[in-house]
Amino acid sequence: MNAVKLTDVTKRFGQVVAVDNLSLDVPRGSIYGFIGPNGSGKTTTLRMIMNIFYPDSGRIEVLGGPLHGTCTDRVGYLPEERGLYKRMGVRDLLKFYGRLKSGRNVSRQVDSWLERFDLADWGKKKVETLSKGMSQKVQFIAAVVAEPELIVLDEPFTGLDPVNADVIREAILEMQQQGRTVILSTHDMNVAEQMCDFIFMIFKGKKVLDGTLASIQDQYGSNVLRIGPENGHLLVAEDVEGVESVRDFGQTQEIRIKPGADPQKVLADIMRQIRLKSFEIAKPSLHDIFVQIAGPKAREDSHA
Amino acid sequence: MHKIGTITTREYKATVKTKGFLVGLVLAPILMCGSLIAIKISEKTQDVSDKRIAILDRSGVLSAAIMDAAQQRNKKETINEEGKKIKPAYVIEVVEPETEDPMVQRMRLSDRVRQGQLHAFLEIEEAVVHPRQNPERCRVSYYAKNAAMDDVRTWIGWPINNQLRKLRLADAGIAESDVPDLFSSVYVEGKGLVSMDEKTGQVQPAKRASELEQIIPPIMSVMLMFLLIMMGASPLISSVMEEKNQRIAEVVLGSVRPFDFMAGKVLGGVAIALTASAVYIAGGILLAIRVNWAEYIPWHLLPWFFTYLILAIVMMGAVFAALGSACNDAKDAQSMTLPAMLPMMIPMFTLVPILKEPEGSFATVLSFFPPCTPTVMMMRQATPEGIPLWQPIAGLMGVLVFAALAVWIGGRIFRVAILIQGTPPKWSNLIRWALRG
Repeated sequence: MNAVKLTDVTKRFGQVVAVDNLSLDVPRGSIYGFIGPNGSGKTTTLRMIMNIFYPDSGRIEVLGGPLHGTCTDRVGYLPEERGLYKRMGVRDLLKFYGRLKSGRNVSRQVDSWLERFDLADWGKKKVETLSKGMSQKVQFIAAVVAEPELIVLDEPFTGLDPVNADVIREAILEMQQQGRTVILSTHDMNVAEQMCDFIFMIFKGKKVLDGTLASIQDQYGSNVLRIGPENGHLLVAEDVEGVESVRDFGQTQEIRIKPGADPQKVLADIMRQIRLKSFEIAKPSLHDIFVQIAGPKAREDSHA
Repeated sequence: MHKIGTITTREYKATVKTKGFLVGLVLAPILMCGSLIAIKISEKTQDVSDKRIAILDRSGVLSAAIMDAAQQRNKKETINEEGKKIKPAYVIEVVEPETEDPMVQRMRLSDRVRQGQLHAFLEIEEAVVHPRQNPERCRVSYYAKNAAMDDVRTWIGWPINNQLRKLRLADAGIAESDVPDLFSSVYVEGKGLVSMDEKTGQVQPAKRASELEQIIPPIMSVMLMFLLIMMGASPLISSVMEEKNQRIAEVVLGSVRPFDFMAGKVLGGVAIALTASAVYIAGGILLAIRVNWAEYIPWHLLPWFFTYLILAIVMMGAVFAALGSACNDAKDAQSMTLPAMLPMMIPMFTLVPILKEPEGSFATVLSFFPPCTPTVMMMRQATPEGIPLWQPIAGLMGVLVFAALAVWIGGRIFRVAILIQGTPPKWSNLIRWALRG
């Protein structure tokens, strides 16, 4: 059963088609990653799921029914741009957001989340006194305090240090274990790879990827070689026949093989030139796939 | 509905819990009545130093009378019973007219005024006693730095005209003692209208028209209404703009419909205005009872006042919220505030003509213009004779319809504009959003 179902949804702003005939099924209990370049239509899609924007055409179903006012009570939302009343006390603010979502036991939930996120001492302080990371955590609590069945998180890790990012990540995974559905929009491909059951990519308003990470990688084949030259930073692979492009990470290089070329032969040619301390024939990373779809070359091709 | 209530409660608490609200509650009426207070203070701190006035009497028959009158006034009015000087004495200096060009002498006297040696100088032309004989030479001119507002100018007309009457009587050969009442003037007493007691059916004599009764209730009602609309409705423009700018609106709209969001904010404004009005009206009633003005309290107007107040805040609050949703920064909000407030300010500029003729066509028409109805109709109702009952009822209907329309149009603009960033709040955009939603 799907938590969210979009059928042929289109949204225009004037002459610009922000979302173009999009269909999408988000299964219940999954973590669904939304990726895509800036301005591709991610946030517009999330806002339509939240009933903030209304689609020009198509149908949106959330939690088994058509989208309407009361339905949004069962959906928590963390927008990309954080919005908190700066002059309110932290606890009062969270209760306010919880009550807006018709949450039950809001006060108890607020205290529990503040305790969990190590913010209990800040409950009476005004929001304007919080650090950026603390504000981020408060905004996250505001999205989940009413115990929603579906949680829509737009860039939840932005601005967080690794410790706080771990705290949020654990909370998200715990909610998934409780059977809740999470839609996670992110620019961090590692987060998408590590956390998401399904990944959806939107580019120029159109769906370009949708599926599990493995199925997406299968689509793009095993055409990547990761090598670790003995002498570290050494760019020799670009001249080898069959190599399409090279990404240099300093100590390692990621080499994309041209379609039809034999990775074994390319590896052998490289090893004839330099000594390697490590090598791997791998599937393309999500980052690599993203760049293939939305990188400068793809943009040039689409303009042509 | 509970979501509207949640937003209303937050809005209300966020305002009334601040020190700014309490300070504003005290300061606002002081600032509104600032001019009255300033007049009272200026009366108490009046300059009592002597005022020297030069008289250039080309007729040669008035200066002595003016000097006598000034001396009598100085004796009677400048010192109070405790021997304290409370008003300036008028010191008259008679200046002989010179034969040279009159402009040269006027210039010389003007320079003395500028140097502070004189407060003013008065020039009386020679034909002043019999103006018809020489209409070109019968003027009396008062020269001073602020002649138009000068107390001396107002006072000096009386001894001049008094002496002129005496001189004209003498010229006509009539002894002043033959017509002792000639200089007695009568006072025209203002009265209300004779009315009938509804209970006993007896005709009641007209009450003496009291300036207090005629002016204070209407002015207080219009001032209070304006002040409360300012407190309850106009802050919505900046508050909504801030919520839009700080992306709070997006979070809230993830939980409530835009219309409910706006309604919650407007009702918060209503609650704030009702709180402030309760404080002011209760304070006003207690004060009136304490100074024995309880008879002037217009009890019958209180239900009308609160009804108009609620509708005015809903009507103007929806307009301000819609405009706030279209603004991107404080500059936008400032440029939008003035045009939105103009309809509310019209009654403030037209206080005097409405008070003079509350049933005149100007006041009547203005009181049926919905944005002005709450203030102007209240002001007309608060005059001693009041207005026919059908007028406030019809006005109320008009305000109800206009308020509903304002909420509907405001809601349509709000829904679109609150999430649009970077688009300037042009009137053409507002009209488009209102029409298309």
